[in-house]
Amino acid sequence: MISLFADSGPAIHVAPGGVFHIGSWVITNSILYGWVASAILTILLVWTARRVIVKPRGGFVQFVEAGVEFIRNLVENAFDDKRIARKYVPYFVTLFFFILFNTWFGLLPVVGDGFHSGDTPLFRPFTGDLNSTFAMAIVTMVVVYTASIRESGGLKKYIKHFFVGSPKNPLYLIIALLEMFTDLTRVVSLSLRLFLNVAIGEMVIAVFSYLGHFAAPLTALPFTLIELGVGALQSYIFVILGVMYLAIAVNHANHDTAHGEKDHLTEDEQPETIGLAPGSARG
Amino acid sequence: MAIFADAVNLTVVGKGLMVGLGFIGPSIGIGLIGGSYLKSVGRNPEAAKFFGQALVFVAIVELFGLLAFASTFIVK
Repeated sequence: MISLFADSGPAIHVAPGGVFHIGSWVITNSILYGWVASAILTILLVWTARRVIVKPRGGFVQFVEAGVEFIRNLVENAFDDKRIARKYVPYFVTLFFFILFNTWFGLLPVVGDGFHSGDTPLFRPFTGDLNSTFAMAIVTMVVVYTASIRESGGLKKYIKHFFVGSPKNPLYLIIALLEMFTDLTRVVSLSLRLFLNVAIGEMVIAVFSYLGHFAAPLTALPFTLIELGVGALQSYIFVILGVMYLAIAVNHANHDTAHGEKDHLTEDEQPETIGLAPGSARG
Repeated sequence: MAIFADAVNLTVVGKGLMVGLGFIGPSIGIGLIGGSYLKSVGRNPEAAKFFGQALVFVAIVELFGLLAFASTFIVK
């Protein structure tokens, strides 16, 4: 019998549930799946790294290579100095693949209400838990702050960047304090964005597989495919925002030290043109 | 008022208002971003390479809509 308006709604979980205990620590289903995904990811990427050859033959190896190349270009283009940029490439590549594969593994059928441990699902996507995305955002911002303090040469010089003029002027002081507060909210916005996108994607899939009833695979399929794109987009955005926060501070510091040494608009680096480019197709 | 509250489930009404009003802003914002992106590509086709940056701003705007949706789980 088809019942669109049944009493029990779709199974929606906002918070992760505890699966088992180690001592007094509760091991939730999201951290459990995070461990599983990390183990798979480590083995998979080490296996991939051994198989990188000069002329790629396609397949998974080339996909990973393209991803690494993509993030490397992204980081190098954000910084003025490519030498500094290369130092931070490994962290952002790791972050990109970790978020990407954790989000994609979260779409597998083993995740969610398929397998239960007691009342709670056994697995939950690692990025669909505010605690884990918050941890990732905190680690990213710690990297950003330590790197920008180191690149600007000391804490005092780093704090000086927040001030437009003298700190004795109350207006500049208030602007600087506001800027510092905005910096601190980045942790919250980074973590909430990733968590809400993944968790709400899970909910949408749950709702549509519930509405589909016996045709649940058909109704849930389009939203699962959308979630593949959302996972890729969100990992890209997490990384590019981290790179931007880092690049703003580091470029500012470098700009001050190299001030007046060279003009920024030389022959080889032309500014982004607004007018007519020679080869542009205009109809 | 108690009779009214019994007859109408105000929690559901509140949740509906939260989602509905909360989605207005982000949808206007995403429309503006997409519109200006297409406008700039129409003027200068080389600007098409900034699609990734446009997506970043879409994600920033989208967060507020998601916040509105997530807040409905707090209302009991």
